[in-house]
Parts: sequence; structure tokens; C-alpha cells
Amino acid sequence: MSNIIEVKNLVKQYKEITAVDNLTFDVKKGEVLGLLGPNGSGKTTAINCILSLLNFNEGSIKIFGKEMNHDSYDLKKDIGVVFQEVSVFDELTVYDNIDYFCGLYISDKNQRKKYVEDAISLVGLNDFKKFYPKKLSGGLLRRLNIACGIAHKPKLIFLDEPTVAVDPQSRNNILDGIKHLRDNGATIVYTTHYMEEVELLCDRIIILDKGKILATGTTDKLKSLANIEEKITIEINELDINYLEKIKEFKNVDDAAYNGNSLVITYKKGKNNLLEIMEYMKKENIKYSKIFSERPTLNDVFLELTGKELRD
Amino acid sequence: MFWHNFKYSLKTLFKNKPLIFWTFAFPLIMATLFNMAFSNIENQEKMDIIDIAIINNSEWNDNEIYKNSFDVLSSDDNEERIFNIDYVNAQKASELLEAGSIAGYIELIDEEPVLTFNTNGLDQTIIKLVTEEIRQTESVIKNLSEEEIQKEITSGNYNIDYESIHNKVVELTKEDNVRLKDISNSNLSYTMIEFYTLIAMTCLYGGILSMTAINESLPNMSNKGKRISISPTKKRTIIFSSLFASFIVQLVGLSLLFIYTIFALKINYGNNIGFIILLSIMGSLAGLSLGTFIGSIFKANENTKTGILIATTMFGCFLSGMMGITMKYIVDKNIPIINKLNPASMITDGFYSLYYYGDNLDRYWFNIISLLIFSAILIIISYIFLRRQKYDSI
Repeated sequence: MSNIIEVKNLVKQYKEITAVDNLTFDVKKGEVLGLLGPNGSGKTTAINCILSLLNFNEGSIKIFGKEMNHDSYDLKKDIGVVFQEVSVFDELTVYDNIDYFCGLYISDKNQRKKYVEDAISLVGLNDFKKFYPKKLSGGLLRRLNIACGIAHKPKLIFLDEPTVAVDPQSRNNILDGIKHLRDNGATIVYTTHYMEEVELLCDRIIILDKGKILATGTTDKLKSLANIEEKITIEINELDINYLEKIKEFKNVDDAAYNGNSLVITYKKGKNNLLEIMEYMKKENIKYSKIFSERPTLNDVFLELTGKELRD
Repeated sequence: MFWHNFKYSLKTLFKNKPLIFWTFAFPLIMATLFNMAFSNIENQEKMDIIDIAIINNSEWNDNEIYKNSFDVLSSDDNEERIFNIDYVNAQKASELLEAGSIAGYIELIDEEPVLTFNTNGLDQTIIKLVTEEIRQTESVIKNLSEEEIQKEITSGNYNIDYESIHNKVVELTKEDNVRLKDISNSNLSYTMIEFYTLIAMTCLYGGILSMTAINESLPNMSNKGKRISISPTKKRTIIFSSLFASFIVQLVGLSLLFIYTIFALKINYGNNIGFIILLSIMGSLAGLSLGTFIGSIFKANENTKTGILIATTMFGCFLSGMMGITMKYIVDKNIPIINKLNPASMITDGFYSLYYYGDNLDRYWFNIISLLIFSAILIIISYIFLRRQKYDSI
């Protein structure tokens, strides 16, 4: 597969702060690359540099094999961007907003009309064409934001946290739309701090923090980086500290922590741990409402790599 | 792409309620208030005749143009007379001025009128304007007389008919008197001065329209700007189509102002309405250019840019005499370069020139061309600046 994006040694500094620190990666044709990282990790800055919206201090950026500059109009026509912030005109209807932004790429009116209708269908806004943005809910606004960014059917799409603060229904709709774009062959760079979205959509993931790449690979490969094999979560209203210390001494336990509502136990190895803890709870007559076991998540990997949660 | 962006810029500007209020409704409200406030003052002021003195020397009595003009303007038969004149000697004039009995006095020295005042105010400004008007007319008449004599000589007629030339000069003097009557009954009206001020301010505040349109297309000013910046449409297409849309909206606003003042408020702009409209269009272009310029070169948020634009416009208006015509003369006299570069001054000077210099449109056209050059320079600088602009942060 040929590279659609090639980023080499990208450095972007804001005065004393290095927002992007020697970033090197590429994105292959038809690939969905997830940029995963907490707020302020440099995801959006990296995208803005790639799009030539921002100057950068060092490095090189190529898109479709050509160097990307602010006046690379021939490259820009095949790029679509969905920004983190909703970027639409309050004074224009849903249809007009999509038509306006699509019209910056497509001059043929008939073709544009079809593209706008396709985009409206893709994000499920057929019943809201004549609505003004102020009349739309947060989720519908996000869908409009996406439609404005992809209506011209770009080959390369940047989606910068498109599902932030949306209701579950809109979120599912948005994710279905992105799958549709992916299935139609678009190359996608997807930034988020929702790991479940990344697991669902992305072929490959880059974990970023403080502008640096901490790890890269497929979901399974990244999960294998975790030192733990199993995580058991138990919902308990009260737990004596002595029990917690006892649990920590179990054979496979890596760590155990109680936050007042739930007890989370991580294990280095993953055999019969659930049975063991359930028997202990029964023996000590500890009341609990819910217990479940799971494999390590990307968040656990991130926690191990950075010492903090993805959503911090 | 130009017309596509133009169409949607027009739509967004027309549907921007606060912008439409300031562009369309605010001038109409101001016009209504001016009409209510100043028409009363004017009716009252018509009764207030300015007391002046003229040094009654032989030079004054020999100068028919000045003598006749001031006779007309102080004649009891003239319903719109503006002066009450005491013909006195220099000492008496000085005493009257010291006593506050007159607003000022005029003396002709070497064919030039010398004005003496104790203070600067509206009465003094009117005396200055009228005297300046007569001085200009006298100059025109002299030139015409010389031209007539030269024509006769050129055509080989050395037997010059001085009587015929004299009659022409007399006719011109009479025409001048008629024009001076016009000045006294309409051109020096407070209401008209305020309406010209309002038109000029409306022109310049059009800058907010272009600044809003430019801000929408800048990635550091709006999220929509980011989206526009990453599109393949060239910056110049976006800038010029947005500017053109702002211009159209501004012209619609101005048209409404003219329609409302002419048909609803019954304001009489006289025979120069075509020139007034042309000057307003050029003034609007200058205002839009100023908005584009400030929107382009300042890296600040929208509120700061709006503040800079309003402050610049207000200061320009103040220096141009919109808030008191005396200021224009103070600036013209002491630092003339400021008003030569000040678009507000170009607009007001254009308006005043139409009335105080009548048929001679040289000064009017000078102001029109000045506004065009001012607009072109600002637009070119804005374009160069935007084209080369790269962002360290957005």
C-alpha cells in the first residue's frame, strides 16, 4: 500500500512548550489511523500542522506523495476535515451549510446537489434540511459538522474528536457514517480519547502524550504491551481496609484499589482469578452488587505507559 | 467559486441580525432622532441672525462682490437673512467685539477679507464659510473677466466691449447672490450638516460588514475560517467575493437611508443628489476597505478588532468636523496632512464642497479620487498581508 500521509520528525513549539515532539508516522491508502491521547497531547496540533493551518518548527509533511503547503490547492481538493469544534454558519440552514462548504470544492451545481444529498443521508439529517443550526441538538450539530467536512467525497479525511459530547444515538449514527466512509475506501485519520471508538474503527493506533508517540500498532499489539492479563471490578458499598490488604497478597494480583464504590483488582496472570475472589468474598461475607472480569483495555495500556487515564 | 462564496456571504450577512441592526436600522433610527431634534433647533435658529460688523472703508465700498453679497445676506427683504451688519470703523468694531455685541468683524485689506473673532463657535464658522464662498466666487469672476478680455484680444478685436463684459460680471454677481440666498436657507442648515454626518458615518461603519466577512474566512478568527482555509478555493477569491458581498449589503443599507430620509422625513438634498450618492458609494468603499484592512492586519480577537475599527472611525470623524465643524478648520489649518489621509474628512469635504463651491466640482472630484486611492491602497495591503499570512497558533 502506498503512503497517503508521510510525517517526518515534526516539531511544533509554542514559545517554551513543545506541543509536537519529533513526530514521525505514515498513513497508508485506505487505512484508518487512530490518534489516541488525552487532552493537550498534541493530536489537534499535529493535524493542524499536517493541514498547513499552522507553521511548524521542524520536519516535513507529504500528502499524496507531495509536500503540503498552505497553497497546495491541488492536494486540498481531496482532503476533508471534521474539526473538533462545530464549524458551521448559524445564519445558514443545514442544506445551505453543506452546500456552501461542498461548493468550495465542487463547482458543478448538479454534481454538488447530489453530493450534498448523499452527505445529508449519510449523517441522517434528511428531516432537518431546512433547520438552522441553533434549532439542532448537540448530536445533530455534530452530524452537520461531519456532513460539511465530507460532502465533497474526499480521499483523505481527518476526523478530530467528532463524537465529543453527543448522545448515544447520534454517536452510533456518526460511527456508522465513518464505517461507511472507510468501507468506500477513504483514508481516515481519527483522533479521539474514546478508546472504544478506536478499537471499533481503527486499523492502527498511535498513542500520543506530550506531543510524543508512546506506542504504535494494532489494538491487539498495543494490548499485549500491558503487564496485566485480567482486571476484575467489584461494586461494593463498604470494604474494610484489612480485606483490601489481604486481597493484594493473592498469588496473581498485581494491584488492588478501592474508591468507595468499586474494588478494582488487576492480575498479572489470568487463570481462575474470578472464582478465587468470589469464594473469598463469600467466605468473608462481603456483600457486593456486581462483579465482572475483563481483558486489559487500551486505557490500561495508556495508564501503564503514562501513569494517567486517557480522559485526564 | 467567486459567485458561490459571494452568494453565501450575502446570505450570511443579511441574516446576521446584530449586523443588520447596526447597518440598516441604526442609521434610520438616528435619522429619525436627528429630524426630531434638529428641525426644532433649526426653526429656532432661523430667528437667530448673526450680528457682525464690517469695517466701512473705501476698499469695502469699491468691492461690489463683497458689498453686494453681504447686502443680500443682511437684507430685511430676505426672509432667510443670516447677518445683521453694523458698518463701523475699526475702533468701534473692536469695541463691539469686546462687548460681545457681535460675533466678529470683517475688514477688506488688499482685496482679501480679514476676519477677527474672540471665540470659535458655529456663528464664527458660518461667517468663515460665507466669506470663503464669496472669495472663491470673486476669484472665478475675475478669471472669467480675464478670459473674456483674452478671447476678444485673441479674436483680433482690440476694440473691447468692456460694457458687455461688465454686464456678464454683473450677471454672475447676481447669480452669486442667488446662490448665497440658497446657502442661507438650506446649505447652512443644522439638519443638513447632521444628515451629511450621518451618511458619512454610515459609510464608514460599513467597515464592520467587511471585517465580519473577513473574520469568517480567517483560520485564527473562526472555526469556519479553518474550514475555508483548508479548502482548495484561493484566498483572493474568498477575500474579494466577501468584500463585494459586504459592499452590496452596505449599498442596500445606504439606499434605505436615502429612501427613508427623502420620502419619509422629506429631507431635501437639493440638485446634487446624484453627486451625493456617488460620494456615498465611494465613502462606503473606503469604509469597507478600512474594515478589511483592520480585520486583516491585526492579530486580535473580533471584539478588539471591532473596537479598533470603531475608535479609528470615530477619531477620523471627530477630526473631520463631524462632531463640530470647527474641528475641521482647526485641523486643516494646523495639520492639513491628517485630513488629507482621513477618509472621514474626504467624505465630509466632498459634501461641503458640493455646497460651498457649487458648480465648481474640482474639489469634489479630488475627494472622490482620494477615496478611491485610499480604498485601493488598503485593499492591496490587506490582500498582500493575508496571502502571506501563516499562523504560529490558531
